[in-house]
Amino acid sequence: MPKFTLDGKEIAFEPGETVMQAAWREGIEIPHYCWHPGLSIAANCRMCLVQVESGRQMAMPQLRFDESTGEYVPTTKPKLQPACQLAADEGMVVSSTNDEVKAAQASVQEFLLLNHPVDCPICDQAGECKLQDYYYEHQGTLKRKLTEPVHKPKGVRFGPTIVYDAERCIMCTRCIRVCDEVAKDHVLDMRERGNKNEIVLAPGRELDHKYTLMTEHVCPVGALTSSDFRFKARVWFLKSGKGICTGCATGCNTHVDYDPRYGKVYRLRPRDNADVNEFWMCDDGMMTYARHATDRVLTATAGRGEGRAPIGEREAISLAAEKLASVDASKLAVVLSAQHTTEDNLALARLASSLGAERLYLAALGGWEGDDILRSDDNNPNRAGATQAAGGAVLRTLSDLIGDVQSGEVRGVVALGWASAERLEELAPLLALDAVVSLSSHIGALPAAAEVVIPVAEIFEVDGSFINAKGMAQEFRQVLSAPADIEPGWRVVADIAKALGQDLGFTDLQSLRKGLSDAAEAAQ
Amino acid sequence: MEPADELLNDQASLELDADPMRLNMGPSHPAMHGTIRMVMDLDGENVINLDVQPGYLHRGFEKSCERGTWAQVFPYADRLNYVSPMLNNVGWSLAVEKLLGIEVPERCQYYRVVLGELSRIADHFTCNGASAMELGAFTPFLWLLKVRDWVWDILERETGARMTHSFGRIGGMAAPPTATFKDDVRQLIPEIYKVVKETEIMLLRNRIFLDRMQGVGVLTKEQALSYGCTGPVARSTGIPYDVRKDHPYMVYDRFDFDVPVGEDGDNWDRFMVRLEEIRQSVRIIEQALEQMPDDGAVNVDDPRIVYPDKSEVYTTIEATIAHFKLVMEGLRVPRGEVYSFTEGGNGELGFHIVSDGSGTPYRVRVRPPCWYNLAASREMLLGGMIADIIPTFGSVNMIGGECDR
Repeated sequence: MPKFTLDGKEIAFEPGETVMQAAWREGIEIPHYCWHPGLSIAANCRMCLVQVESGRQMAMPQLRFDESTGEYVPTTKPKLQPACQLAADEGMVVSSTNDEVKAAQASVQEFLLLNHPVDCPICDQAGECKLQDYYYEHQGTLKRKLTEPVHKPKGVRFGPTIVYDAERCIMCTRCIRVCDEVAKDHVLDMRERGNKNEIVLAPGRELDHKYTLMTEHVCPVGALTSSDFRFKARVWFLKSGKGICTGCATGCNTHVDYDPRYGKVYRLRPRDNADVNEFWMCDDGMMTYARHATDRVLTATAGRGEGRAPIGEREAISLAAEKLASVDASKLAVVLSAQHTTEDNLALARLASSLGAERLYLAALGGWEGDDILRSDDNNPNRAGATQAAGGAVLRTLSDLIGDVQSGEVRGVVALGWASAERLEELAPLLALDAVVSLSSHIGALPAAAEVVIPVAEIFEVDGSFINAKGMAQEFRQVLSAPADIEPGWRVVADIAKALGQDLGFTDLQSLRKGLSDAAEAAQ
Repeated sequence: MEPADELLNDQASLELDADPMRLNMGPSHPAMHGTIRMVMDLDGENVINLDVQPGYLHRGFEKSCERGTWAQVFPYADRLNYVSPMLNNVGWSLAVEKLLGIEVPERCQYYRVVLGELSRIADHFTCNGASAMELGAFTPFLWLLKVRDWVWDILERETGARMTHSFGRIGGMAAPPTATFKDDVRQLIPEIYKVVKETEIMLLRNRIFLDRMQGVGVLTKEQALSYGCTGPVARSTGIPYDVRKDHPYMVYDRFDFDVPVGEDGDNWDRFMVRLEEIRQSVRIIEQALEQMPDDGAVNVDDPRIVYPDKSEVYTTIEATIAHFKLVMEGLRVPRGEVYSFTEGGNGELGFHIVSDGSGTPYRVRVRPPCWYNLAASREMLLGGMIADIIPTFGSVNMIGGECDR
């Protein structure tokens, strides 16, 4: 590969790459605002100016004030070039740290802060703001301007998800480009010029496409804020875990930002993965975190409707085992979940085969529209994983189950998860059965139809993996600890199996996963 | 030393047992100046073996530094030698400033010198006063501490606290000198001279004092060197090492002062060296006050190092950001390591700091003068009498806060 030199370090590049991009791949950050690896080049922020020290030098004549004599002396100044737009060339020598470049960076930074409001204490971006970082790294001088800053609109509602503050905006146009290039919807644009510059909506429009939160995500400053996250948390209190989005079968990689003091997730951010989601996520995916804290099943219950009463965890497990044992294995339906990890599904499929129950079904969500950007047509993160856990055959649906219950072929049900496209009214035939056991983290139609409900851990509370629509298995790690006495689904299944006198052949996640690779081989 | 059971088995011996007695002094003992434990074997009243054991203070200074910002080390540094905290504050400032490659304005350097020398005077007052008191001379103790209190009054007016000032800052001081600073110090100088003179009159011809101090607790020059002793302990043996003279920092090279040395390295010499150093410190203060500019900046002009003025923080974004960064992440010190050393109250106070380029120290290693002096105190005490432990250990001026890091 051809190479160029940046600040004394040799950097290899693909022909056609820019200096910025090649440096970014090497993990070197040339200061920038408007450039984003996933967007087109705008080269308007001027923060990434560098000097090409090789080749013919371009110089501009300039007058410089000499403080000792009090006179202007003619001198020259090298022509700097934006690294984001500068194509790398073999043998090129580039400096992003020499005195001329440093002076340019400091000046650009000073200009950007010229009319910036004193908002850090009330700004959600504080703590992860490029203006703050680059001020400290590249400017470090106090304000020289004495006049009132230019005022522009604040707290402008762009749509249901985004609020815009024009005073904080540095006009990098990243949000405009995200709408144009990722969401393919030209809903944002810029108006006026100079210090009257402002981002505006297309006339008659709201910022309401499926990727609006990406505008906030790419905003390097606090100009765009998410209505959901606004004023909820200060970022320096948040820690970050690595997760997989549960919104659809794409399986976008996420940063799960949570506050360890409260054990609460505050937001998701896309985690770069060139093979899956590049740099992006859709709004619905970004908001899946909210489900985590709401409508949880926190205690085991027995009985239905008015008669439903909480019981102890141990008691619930033996009661569930008792109910399942009362049904002939040939009439026992085992419902896997496309919302649960492959591991949970595998454990349940194991229980089915060890009991000799051959009726496997799959509960999945529906009512969703995909697109050809990121959103898969299937809004279940792990249909493929559940299918693989069951041995690879296409699983029957819940409507098949309802038919089988009505025809009397099924007399008992054990179901994983809360998620089903069917509402409780549609699942009504299940209410007639005595042996219906639900393992669920949240309330929903399936647990509502069950005689015994046992709580299981939620997706942020477990180690596990999903297999996405492309067939990629992606592992993720536990971010939060589960509420007291609540265990991951696979462990609850193992407990029930134990109460039934069955040995499922695993004791921990590792031995369970070994079974997973066996299942994968069997599926092939 | 023979094991006790062997002696007991020796039925032939009818004489009184002459076993050495093992005695624990401290860690909680009035003579131990902090929590030091001494395990000694006594033959009658003679100390025939001795083990000095620090480590009962559980400070964890060095490790504590690794979890705050660089500026948050000041309160910890205060408590190294808590009798002269200003010297530690300035020592820490200079170490970080050396790694940052900055120098504070001259006015600040003079200010640091004067405050530091006042602290040194307070330190020596305390040590010499306590030494006298421990030998029964209560009046010199009270008189010295009376003037020490006046010194602390000045420090309180300047910093807001009598001890543990936490007044140093990286790149300057927490506040500029008060308007009356120079006058206050100038008014105090005659009092310092006077109380030193009074102490000499009361003690230097006192038979009891002389007997307990002269020829007691001797440390030879070679021993002092091999133990790494510095400060008054080393100078009392005749080693003329003073960081202010040999490796001048700040503006110490502009002052005319002498480094007093002793000859015998006994309690007397240590006492006399400290007494003379008080006079030399006053000389430095007099010259520093003369040379110190009355106005001008105290802190370096860089909002990335020193907090900007509050009026700017509240009204301009640049200062807000600087303030935010300094509070939330701490000032960033370039990657690297330095050893920086100053003359503390008891000798060379060194900080070896390592930075990984972040706002938090990667490693802080302190070379406290007392640690080496304490190690050498065994040599001074061994072979002496148990009663001599009190004046000798007092004259070492061991400060527990420095030894337990």
